[in-house]
Amino acid sequence: MMNNPADNWQDERVSARANRLRGLKMQIWIPPIVGFGLIILAWQLYAVHNPYIIPTVPQIVDQYRTQPGLYWHDTLVTLQEAVVGASCGMAGAFLLAILMSRVRVLERALMPLAVVLNVTPMVAIAPGLVVAFGFGFTPKYIIAGMIVFFPFLINSLIGLRSPDPEVLDVFTTLHASWWEVLWHLELPTSLPYLFAAARICLPLSLIGAVVAEFSAAGQTTGLGSLIETAANQADLKAVYASVVVLALLGVGVTFVVVLFQRRLLSWHHSSRSRSQ
Amino acid sequence: MFKARTVSFTLDQARLTSWRASVHGCLILVRSPGESNLTEKRFAVRIPCCEDGADEKQTQTTTKFLAELAPESEAERVSADAAKSTDEVSMVGDDGVSISGIWKSFTNRNENTSAIEDVNLRIRRGQFVTLIGPSGCGKSTLLRIVAGLLKPDRGSVSIFGETVSHATQSKHIGFVPQTPALLPWRTVLENVQLPLQVNKRYGGGDRRPSAPRELLKSFELGDVLDRRPQDLSRGMQQRVAIARAFVFDPMILLMDEPFSALDEFTREAQRRGLLELWQSDQKTVLFVTHSVTEAVELSDVIVVMSPQPGRVQAMIPVDLPRPRDNFVENSESFHMVEVEVRRELRRTSSQLE
Repeated sequence: MMNNPADNWQDERVSARANRLRGLKMQIWIPPIVGFGLIILAWQLYAVHNPYIIPTVPQIVDQYRTQPGLYWHDTLVTLQEAVVGASCGMAGAFLLAILMSRVRVLERALMPLAVVLNVTPMVAIAPGLVVAFGFGFTPKYIIAGMIVFFPFLINSLIGLRSPDPEVLDVFTTLHASWWEVLWHLELPTSLPYLFAAARICLPLSLIGAVVAEFSAAGQTTGLGSLIETAANQADLKAVYASVVVLALLGVGVTFVVVLFQRRLLSWHHSSRSRSQ
Repeated sequence: MFKARTVSFTLDQARLTSWRASVHGCLILVRSPGESNLTEKRFAVRIPCCEDGADEKQTQTTTKFLAELAPESEAERVSADAAKSTDEVSMVGDDGVSISGIWKSFTNRNENTSAIEDVNLRIRRGQFVTLIGPSGCGKSTLLRIVAGLLKPDRGSVSIFGETVSHATQSKHIGFVPQTPALLPWRTVLENVQLPLQVNKRYGGGDRRPSAPRELLKSFELGDVLDRRPQDLSRGMQQRVAIARAFVFDPMILLMDEPFSALDEFTREAQRRGLLELWQSDQKTVLFVTHSVTEAVELSDVIVVMSPQPGRVQAMIPVDLPRPRDNFVENSESFHMVEVEVRRELRRTSSQLE
């Protein structure tokens, strides 16, 4: 049976499109892979000649092979501390931002306090919190929460105040309640700001958790504690193995945020390609 | 010299000599007082069944269009009356919108500027009223006061016997701002559903909220229900915004230069669309515009406002037949109203100088 020429033409177009897409994917993935490859190569070359400064790549990989349980467990602990702390901190910051956006006096009263909290180095607060709350999870949650609080508060406030005044007018003429304005207008409008903040805050919360673990090193688990203990024993292989895991964790949480962002912000121009 | 005016006018003031009508219009020959020559005028009017000798209708139509031929002196008198008391011209009953003694000033850097001074206006139920005037004449401010978005310093607004705040509470006001002001995360359909989702306590009762899907189809937006507003053209977005104001069946529509950002062709199409819609359910409309043609094409009454401070300069009734299609728009009567509006607008700017 003869093929319909129109079908052929269609097929050609489809396959051309698939080829183009494949080409595009290659364009996206190849540069970072090459970049990372070169860095690892440089690392390895340097490490071979300076064994007392950094470990070689195989030595680091070997760490995971010999003690998989240790790294896995500590990773989960740190991740949990960071995620729980950041979630509480971001939720608190968002609720406060809602109050502040409605009651100006509250903003004037509390914003200076938030600024002070932001400029105080968390590393300095951490030991005091460990003394007060012990070696459990509490001080880690608090530090991780505190470190994300300010950036999330500022972004939430800007987001909640960003609705177009004319859209607000429409809501006002409909006599929408404050809750309806929040739910149907302010919350969706602030989502791009909240996601931008979350991309900064979740990696920040990892820093918070690690700093808190440093302060209680030896008495507690987590990658921070592991690094501190290993450094005291001059175990560079364990130190860098933990650092690599932390970096991967940071990439992982950022990736999750971006995934949600793509899902929830498909309408926003930041998620749209220019051709649309 | 004749002017288009709406005045009560008796047949003996301008004697009808002869008239003949066709489907395209009406040719009327009149002899006006003080003038011996016959004057020939072509009018934009469609007279139904005129050839079949529908006598009563013919007489009515003739009387109406003879009224437009009021001599200038008569017209001037009415115009002067209009400036003196706006209330008398529109002759409104209790169930219209009444704006009485509105004053509003704004304070900016310790400087008090008066935006509106003593504006009185009555709008009948089902009337299409346009506010026109140069920038800073307070027309948008007045609209925002009627919408309850601004509080007047003095004076009151009554919307079908209710206060503004009560009218917004009961969702009696449909507001169409200058930009479409749609929610980009909602589809076209969801945007139009919004007024039905907020303030749910009201909107039932004697109201006839339209089904959003059907309404959008009548707005020729049936194919884009699931698209997001940012994927549509500006003209289509504006139509969605108007549909959103229509969907909950408000008693009055307040439109703040809704077509000002559109190009001329789109504007014209939008005007026609709005007129068609308005004619099907005759909502009361208060419409702010910069465009004289737009005002004449749409309105029953044009309110010309003068700036600094905003006052009502003149109220010009537009007694052109509807639907106002190309034929009406190209007619002499249409242009005469335009000329009058322009003249009033020039007067507002000459007052400034």
